[in-house]
Amino acid sequence: MTFTDDELVARSIGGDAESFNQLILRWERPIYALAYRVIGREEDARDVCQETFLRAFRALPGFKGQAKFSSWLYRIALNLCRDWIRRQRRAPMMQLPEGVDAGELLAETGPSESIEDLVGRRQLSAVVEEAMTLLPEEQRTAIILKEYHGMTFQEIADMQGCPLSTVKTRLYQGLTVLRRHLEKNGHPSTPLGVARVKSRAS
Amino acid sequence: MTESFVCGDHGALVSYLYDECAAGERRAIGAHVAICSFCAEELATLGATREQLRAWTPPDVQLGFRIVSDAAPSKVLRPSRWWQQPMPAWAQAAAAALIFATGLSLGILRGVMPTAVQPEAVRPRSAAAVASAAPVTHAELAALEQRLRSEVSHPAAVTESTSASADEARILQRVRAMIDDSEQRQQHELALRAAEMMRDVDAQRSDDMARVERTLGQMDGTTGVEVAQQRQLLNYLMRVSQRGQ
Repeated sequence: MTFTDDELVARSIGGDAESFNQLILRWERPIYALAYRVIGREEDARDVCQETFLRAFRALPGFKGQAKFSSWLYRIALNLCRDWIRRQRRAPMMQLPEGVDAGELLAETGPSESIEDLVGRRQLSAVVEEAMTLLPEEQRTAIILKEYHGMTFQEIADMQGCPLSTVKTRLYQGLTVLRRHLEKNGHPSTPLGVARVKSRAS
Repeated sequence: MTESFVCGDHGALVSYLYDECAAGERRAIGAHVAICSFCAEELATLGATREQLRAWTPPDVQLGFRIVSDAAPSKVLRPSRWWQQPMPAWAQAAAAALIFATGLSLGILRGVMPTAVQPEAVRPRSAAAVASAAPVTHAELAALEQRLRSEVSHPAAVTESTSASADEARILQRVRAMIDDSEQRQQHELALRAAEMMRDVDAQRSDDMARVERTLGQMDGTTGVEVAQQRQLLNYLMRVSQRGQ
């Protein structure tokens, strides 16, 4: 039987640690991905992820369900990432992947993806990761929450504690910087085509 | 939401890009984009950039965090308080001597050992001195008078010396018993402390063993991941070599 987040939270508050473990299983990947993309270090992202769930477990009795459990988790994780960045006192995500590992590549190969495509995707991934380091923390976080976690403008505004219009501005400016960096590094944006955009709009 | 769109309104373009705008606003932006090449190109390149961002994936790592309920409190050895620490041998000996002296004094005060009240009286160890230290009663005085008279009448008699030596033997016997008692107490105390130390060492050893087991478990996990990666690499090489043939 599959329980909803709210049901699992209620059971966890009632002292059922196994229910909380199910919540961990459900959310550890997204939280890890968020932490990794914000701080850019595998080991530290793992630590942040672990600490997020530990803090959530400790603070669970105080969770009254004002927000979604996932939003609450994201908020804890983002606060921890922010603390981590402050502690580091240097630009995050400076450790870029060194070359391309054939073993890793093979593990990621999809049934319809050739090795060449995969290598290209890995290179693009490295450039995107590098480009992300150029963004201020607020822009980077806004883009990560929007692009990789599918949050709405309002959810991001709540998470970042800023007006809706600020979120849109951060997204626009962030995307513009990323586009320029990608173009500069041999990955020009191959637009859908102005004609396609126009036809879609009409 | 506004139903009109001003060219260059980036916020509105972003809303349109992510499809998060009201129907009226969407219609207004759509109508503008259809005739404005600049805004159309802006939207197209931003959309393409979004597609490129999808290539960025975090590394695949083993997570598997779990909350483990801590039913039994962990045996964390903390430094013991000063009063819980084992006492050095010299301090134990001093304490035993102090206890012995206190007991002796109390005994003397209660009249158990009358001869030891004044050291000056003990030093000569004479029968007279021993007798003089005892509390004097009328009956004793009468007995003493009778004895002196009999001594005067029979100078060769040596009755007093035998009674004095009997007193001394009794005192010595009592002191010996007290010393034995004190030694037994000390041995008992030492045995207790030794047992406590053994228990502490045992608990520390158990903790160390548990920590070593945890570390070994983590190492096993890491090695497993490395073996899996090696296997994937070998498979890849096999496939590439087969493809080459």
